[in-house]
Amino acid sequence: MSVELNELRDSVRQVVSGIGQYGAKQSLWDQGIELGWLMVSIPESLDGLDMGVAASSVVNIELGRGLCAAPLSSALLSIEALCDSNLSDKADHLMQALSGELLSLPFANSSIRLNDASLNGYAIALPGAGQATQALLWTEDQQLLFLASLDQPGLKCVERSTRDVTRTLFDVDLQNLSLKEQTIVAEGEQAQQLVSALLARRDISLAADSIGAASELLEMTIEHLNTRVQFRRPLAMFQALKHRCADLKVQIVASEAMLFDALARPFSETRAMAAKYLCCTSFAKVAEESLQLHGGIGMADEHDCHLFLKRALLNMHLGRGEAVYAQAVARGFLQEQ
Amino acid sequence: MTQIELEQFRRQVGSWLASNVPNAWRPALTNAEQGDFVELQKAWFTKLVEAGYATPHWPEGWPGGGRSLAEQKVIFEEVARADAPRLILYFVALYHAACTLFECGSEEQRQKYLPGILKGEIWCQGFSEPNAGSDLASLKTRAVRKGDKYIINGQKTWSTMAQYADHCLLLARTDSSGPPQAGLTYLLLDMKSPGVSVRPISQITGDDEFAEIFFDDVEVDVADRVGDEGAGWAVAQATLASERGLTLVELTQRMRYGLNILVGTLKSNGRLSDPVALADLGCLIPKVDAACALADQYLQKRINGTEQVGDASIVKLYYAQVLREFVALGVRVGGLDGQGDSGFMRGATQETGDWTLDYMNSYNWSIAGGSNEVQRNIIAERMLGMPREPKSWQLGE
Repeated sequence: MSVELNELRDSVRQVVSGIGQYGAKQSLWDQGIELGWLMVSIPESLDGLDMGVAASSVVNIELGRGLCAAPLSSALLSIEALCDSNLSDKADHLMQALSGELLSLPFANSSIRLNDASLNGYAIALPGAGQATQALLWTEDQQLLFLASLDQPGLKCVERSTRDVTRTLFDVDLQNLSLKEQTIVAEGEQAQQLVSALLARRDISLAADSIGAASELLEMTIEHLNTRVQFRRPLAMFQALKHRCADLKVQIVASEAMLFDALARPFSETRAMAAKYLCCTSFAKVAEESLQLHGGIGMADEHDCHLFLKRALLNMHLGRGEAVYAQAVARGFLQEQ
Repeated sequence: MTQIELEQFRRQVGSWLASNVPNAWRPALTNAEQGDFVELQKAWFTKLVEAGYATPHWPEGWPGGGRSLAEQKVIFEEVARADAPRLILYFVALYHAACTLFECGSEEQRQKYLPGILKGEIWCQGFSEPNAGSDLASLKTRAVRKGDKYIINGQKTWSTMAQYADHCLLLARTDSSGPPQAGLTYLLLDMKSPGVSVRPISQITGDDEFAEIFFDDVEVDVADRVGDEGAGWAVAQATLASERGLTLVELTQRMRYGLNILVGTLKSNGRLSDPVALADLGCLIPKVDAACALADQYLQKRINGTEQVGDASIVKLYYAQVLREFVALGVRVGGLDGQGDSGFMRGATQETGDWTLDYMNSYNWSIAGGSNEVQRNIIAERMLGMPREPKSWQLGE
């Protein structure tokens, strides 16, 4: 990692750990906006910090560490998509987003169709859409990317129930939404390119979140094993437990290496999917083992362990859906051959 | 070297390999006689030495020497890309022996032994013993000082290619009064000395890469001691650290190219449209990518001088685990026909496409050079800060 990225990581971590509360929401949102975290990947030509997608991943990793409840990662994704677009007034849109006006987008599958200039369908799992003014949506055929105001007739936004309390997700239902009332971001081939980049970045974003959360959780678990004494010795002295922690550490480090490798290479949808799959699977494994290694206290609501487990399980299903990844990665690999 | 110069160097190495890698070396080594194997290794070694690609890690002034770690990495990557034979007959000589001599040997020892290595003398490692594997420091082979000689008695095992070796890097006990690590001494032993006998170990693959070495009153000159008497443990650490990272860059890259062989097996067994097989492949690919990225980033850390304790263990353990998954998938999709015995391949890598053979060979990487379990201890204790085991199982002592 470059010096710049290291500094960024340290500064975000300082803020996140300073809040000292997993799943913090408003305070992190405010500080993220104020400290310019949403600007890291905006190009210089648009007055951003121009640090590339790797920088948003660094931010997302640290947000994951704190199980951040503020929808900063979806804001980052929307901003990146707007930057890539040819929208004539994108500077205005960016200005709004950077001043804290939330722009959300679906973190799971959406199915929207355009018929006779009217939009129908649904989009699922938009983080923080309850407070958002607009959502970035696209049609299923990826021929249209548009901004829809969340406050308009024909659009219903309903909170989705999740066991994970560190993310607040909303579903959006579209009924005969008039196309001309929406802001068109891109159409045709350009829309397709933007959507496919957006989906890959969403994969990377979830991968980064998972790596951060998994790292934090493993540290917490080792701390517990080092402190908890049974049989007249710290649990951490038992090789059976040490080896499990070592295996988890290896999985986290390897997944993170793969994530940064994918970021360093030319854009590839297959690699992004591979990173999402590997990092989310690793987080799920770390969460599964960590609760076990915490023993009874891990089952208690007052302990933070379950917050990680629930986020890990949710992360597996966000993005393109749990069932899609493995086969899609294999198909992508075969096509590249 | 700038990035551009490094890429030029890569092209230079790549094109040299393209026209020099022995043709069809795998078939030539399938069920090959020992002599054929030695001949092929020797010819390939000679070519590499002449081109300067066998000794890039040697200091400037030696043929081929003085290359940066970044350039060495390029050579290993290109060797993997070209699917060239691994120099397993010469690896101990080129890396372990040479690096030990460069780091801890005397000038006389360097002048005496290094030119021989370039001419193709073969070295083996006499570290492990029947009762000293993971617990290397408990080794018992004795070296007793008598005038200007040491007299060696004992037994070594798992010594790769010892049956072909001219010299042995020997770790022997000169003192058993103190803690186990303190009484070890590092010696260079001539394998043709009277009293040395070698017995190859027949392996589950049909190959015999390893051997046992027996020492019966074997004499070693005191001048052939590396470092001080009793300092053998520290010298051995230098030996083991010599190729850290480079081999794993090569091996992980070979595994990545090996995915194509796996796809070939899937294809020939009609499994490419089987969603279960596809999902298995899709689960494996990110891990292979991760192993490559990990090895790459580890070496980058070494180049930048930011390596930390435990980093090397993580790379090795992850590679060993993913390699096992890789060959296990090969065995699974290889079907019943894959269970057929088509013999063995001398000096094979883990990507021959004979998946049952590859599967057996994959244990090399989870056992040799510090088993997975030892790596886990290192990671847990030295990286994660978890407490050490109680020193002895006889806790009352």
